[in-house]
Amino acid sequence: MGDPHLDRIKAYRRVNGICINRRSLLQGLTLTALASATSAFAAPLEKVKDLGVLRVGLYADNRPWSWDQGGKVAGIDADIARALAEALGVRADVQLFFAGEDISDDLRNVVWRGGLLGFQPCDVMLHVPFERHLMQAEDNVVFLAPYYRETFGAACSRDGGNCEAVPAAFKGRPITVELASIPDFYLLGHAGGVLAKDLVHVPTGYDAAAALANGSAEFTVATTAQIESAVADHADAGIKVRKGPLPMMMSPGWDIGIAVKENSRNLGFRLEEILEQMIADGRMAAIFKSHGVTWKPALSAQS
Amino acid sequence: MKRRFTTFMAGLAAATSLAAAPALAGGPTSADIVNDAATPGDVISYGMGPQQQRFSSLDKINTANVKGLVPVFAASLGGEKQRGQESQPLVYDGTIYVTGSYSRLFAFDARTGEKKWEYNARLPDGIMPCCDVVNRGAAIHGDKVIFATLDAHLIALDRHTGKVIWNKKLADYQAGYSATAAPLIVKDMVITGNSGGEFGIIGEVSARNVETGELIWTRPTIEGHMGTLAGKPSTMTGKLNASWTGDLWKTGGGATWLGGTYDPETNLLYFGTGNPGPWNSNLRPGDNLYTASTLAIDPDTGEIKWHYQTTPHDGWDFDGVNEFIPFDATIKGKPMKLGAKADRNGYFYVLDRTNGKLVGASKFVMQTTWADGINLKTGRPNFIPANRPGAPNGAEKGTTVFASPSFLGGKNWMPMAYSKDTGLFYVPSNDWGMDIWNEPIAYKKGAAYLGAGFTIKPIAEDHIGALRAMDPVTGKIVWEYKNKAPLWGGVLATRGNLVFTGTPEGYLKAFDAKTGTELWKFQTGSGVVGSPVTWEQDGEQYVAVMSGWGGAVPLWGGEVAKTFKEISQGGSLWVFKLPK
Repeated sequence: MGDPHLDRIKAYRRVNGICINRRSLLQGLTLTALASATSAFAAPLEKVKDLGVLRVGLYADNRPWSWDQGGKVAGIDADIARALAEALGVRADVQLFFAGEDISDDLRNVVWRGGLLGFQPCDVMLHVPFERHLMQAEDNVVFLAPYYRETFGAACSRDGGNCEAVPAAFKGRPITVELASIPDFYLLGHAGGVLAKDLVHVPTGYDAAAALANGSAEFTVATTAQIESAVADHADAGIKVRKGPLPMMMSPGWDIGIAVKENSRNLGFRLEEILEQMIADGRMAAIFKSHGVTWKPALSAQS
Repeated sequence: MKRRFTTFMAGLAAATSLAAAPALAGGPTSADIVNDAATPGDVISYGMGPQQQRFSSLDKINTANVKGLVPVFAASLGGEKQRGQESQPLVYDGTIYVTGSYSRLFAFDARTGEKKWEYNARLPDGIMPCCDVVNRGAAIHGDKVIFATLDAHLIALDRHTGKVIWNKKLADYQAGYSATAAPLIVKDMVITGNSGGEFGIIGEVSARNVETGELIWTRPTIEGHMGTLAGKPSTMTGKLNASWTGDLWKTGGGATWLGGTYDPETNLLYFGTGNPGPWNSNLRPGDNLYTASTLAIDPDTGEIKWHYQTTPHDGWDFDGVNEFIPFDATIKGKPMKLGAKADRNGYFYVLDRTNGKLVGASKFVMQTTWADGINLKTGRPNFIPANRPGAPNGAEKGTTVFASPSFLGGKNWMPMAYSKDTGLFYVPSNDWGMDIWNEPIAYKKGAAYLGAGFTIKPIAEDHIGALRAMDPVTGKIVWEYKNKAPLWGGVLATRGNLVFTGTPEGYLKAFDAKTGTELWKFQTGSGVVGSPVTWEQDGEQYVAVMSGWGGAVPLWGGEVAKTFKEISQGGSLWVFKLPK
């Protein structure tokens, strides 16, 4: 905070080759406005279909969910975004953006207002926490379609010893963790702070788990999806995934879903239907599996 | 077509100004800039001199006649980019140079208000500032006018034409860096701080060759990081792990986002540093040097000569970036070289500027809940431990505490002024507090993380803002002017026994420097959050200020927002003088 409140800059990266310039499309549309008179005032779903493109906002550097891989947006959320567009019969315009200080910044910049410097709002944002307090606080957006349950877990390197031991047992050995994340606070404060000197802070939880592959770290706490995908990407490295729960972990997990602008409900409902179909026919689990992650239904979708 | 026209106009402006003032074609030198406070015919540095006392020796406008002050012209920055205008104008060679929101720089004719040229930095559309898109001012040297941009570039323009001479990347905006402060020119170097709030950034001061923009030295502000000089590693800042646990120093914060001052007598740069990360202080034991501090740096080498930390182990977001203003005074019969800083944390510090030793510290706001005074022997605050936000306990949020000042500070970015005549500092301050707590679960990048919650609220019925005259020798508040909305603009003091400052309500106001009596006000049409300047031109004294509401304050809702909900945005340069 501090400077941040005045000067914090959140960057967003245009990924060449993937994005379609929405403004040039709109200009093109103006020229053909006579031919397609309905588009200007159409409801959001019809507008997306008329434009022939679904603009989807995804977090940058959020492996295994969404990240820039050599100019192409890769990841579970990127695959879901493309599947959504395909089901609507339109192209996917996948936009990576850098996270703000909290989720409110992201919803404002990506879903309901757009960026101050010209970033156009997206039709839908994925990977949004599906949580009651957030819904109450954010009345400019609609939260829909919880599609996965996030949880925290732990893993050890091949030579990391007993992965089921209390984390304090790893004192004196390198422990990687994503900076300023819940796992970071968990490990910093664990057992009175005995591990604080052993923590190696890295930018993402995926990096933290991947560091177990070459032995540069022996233990990590990260999200289950980050750990599973790192294990899959380094299948021969012998990374061991902890089976038991983490003592005193402050978060029991959370659901993730999608967010659309408050006045885009008909688009949101249609996307929710598509996601439900994907879950029902196994396409969702297959997308997750292709990234080494086991799909788990959202808790709120089970009741 | 439009571009070609602009180029033509710029060329015309260049030709005109060269013809009109050939003697000034060389432009200000570093010596001129050091001497800025003594040359009232121009304003060629941020703060009206590198000490940034914001004091003018002009007295043609004074307490007796200020009520007659009238506008000469108002010049709109135009466009749709009407957000916070926190800039301070520069005046040189019949031209007013002023930066605007969205990293723009304008040159106006100082006599007519006609625009000579405009430069719009091309910003990546994906930069998403949390708060506002401000800029605080430019620097001028030789044929160049230099300013920093939101995407963390430093750009030198030809001051006659607005054409780019050099453009250097200060830092990577994609890694969360930005730049909004006015650069400082010292010994033919451009000295800048850095800004950015992304977790993981490290504060730094750097010096570049003013002619080329090439890097000369860098000085990181966090212990354990290595500085550079002439392209080679120089010395380490502080001592590795002396006040940080584990590898947290690598991502410790301490941004120098407000720039710095320079004192030619001691040959020292003074830069303030931001607060440490991560937010929850319970997880980073130690003083976390050199966050929330003032650093004295040798401009020739980039070496730290001394430091003074205003908020050790910060837990309230009291960063220490505020300007440290050199001044001289007699303390207990002894003439001393001093410096003063009104900190975010609500205390006004007076230090020996040769060695950083604390001379005095006193409250300049209504209330400081986090500490009960500053210990003059140790230089450390007398913390009130119960008023530090508690650590979360498992899934329960930490203890909520009421903290005053709020994290926006007893004083935020807006610069104070020092009058050589009255010996007083004029501090634009705010009286507000916050409920603050550490949250076990919040969300960032779609994931759960540990965050902080806060609610800002007023603590007085009749005001939030207060312009206060502080006696640096006694630490006493001599007078105060209370303002309903938070004050967010800079202050100017003059030999005419006047103090000028703006208000969010849209007024530029003038006060009697000795008594605080309000003598004049003018409604500019939008909130004033810029810093006024004054200069002499054609035998008359002029005053200029930017109008345009914005900055960080409008982001906060609740009770505070009620004080400014009817204020509209703007973007204009206003210039005043007395009628002939």
